[in-house]
Amino acid sequence: MDKRRINNNIRKLRFFQNEMTQQELAQKVGVTRQTIIAMEQGKYSPSLELAFRIALVFGVPLEEVFSYDVEDEAKK
Amino acid sequence: MSFQEKNVTVSLVNFSLILGFFLVRVLQMIQGGGFNSTNVFRLWGIVIALAVVVTIFATILTHIVSAIIYAIRTGEEKSNVEDIEDERDKLIDLRGTKLTYLLASIGSFLSMLTFVLGQPPLVMFTSLIFFGVLAQILGDVLRLYLYRRGF
Repeated sequence: MDKRRINNNIRKLRFFQNEMTQQELAQKVGVTRQTIIAMEQGKYSPSLELAFRIALVFGVPLEEVFSYDVEDEAKK
Repeated sequence: MSFQEKNVTVSLVNFSLILGFFLVRVLQMIQGGGFNSTNVFRLWGIVIALAVVVTIFATILTHIVSAIIYAIRTGEEKSNVEDIEDERDKLIDLRGTKLTYLLASIGSFLSMLTFVLGQPPLVMFTSLIFFGVLAQILGDVLRLYLYRRGF
């Protein structure tokens, strides 16, 4: 069973928000910078509440930030 | 390294030193023939007092030193956001605590087993504190591992 099935575009979205820093994003959503780093590296899947807060900061729907890797599931 | 991660590292070092001290004292007692209830219970008190006092002071010291280093490096006051415990920190802490409790429970069982198998009560009390401190150390190791590897 693949543990890292939730992918995200946080790095790309930060880039399109005038290169928003990890620290700035962390402060806006109320977590530590290490948590943002872990999410970008795919080492941590956030809670639903944090996911919504991140989507709100970027002003995009949740599915534009996070995606669920359905293909891997279908292969099995 | 986040503030929580530094705290876990400090706790790991503290408890490793306390375990080392405990084992050395127990060996000295056994070799010197002073393995009696007075010495064992005094050692219990010392270990528990050390665990509480050293952990509190080490946490405060870590906070102060990391704030000073941050200020020297960046020339700014330390941001409060790094001090908070967010959902990832809480999850990692919960997993560490779960392992600590599990190992402490197994350790308690094994300690009581020594009593059932005919060993003197002092052996049970000595191994109880040994497994308690060991469980704390292994819980901290798991926390650090989860911080580094992610989950």
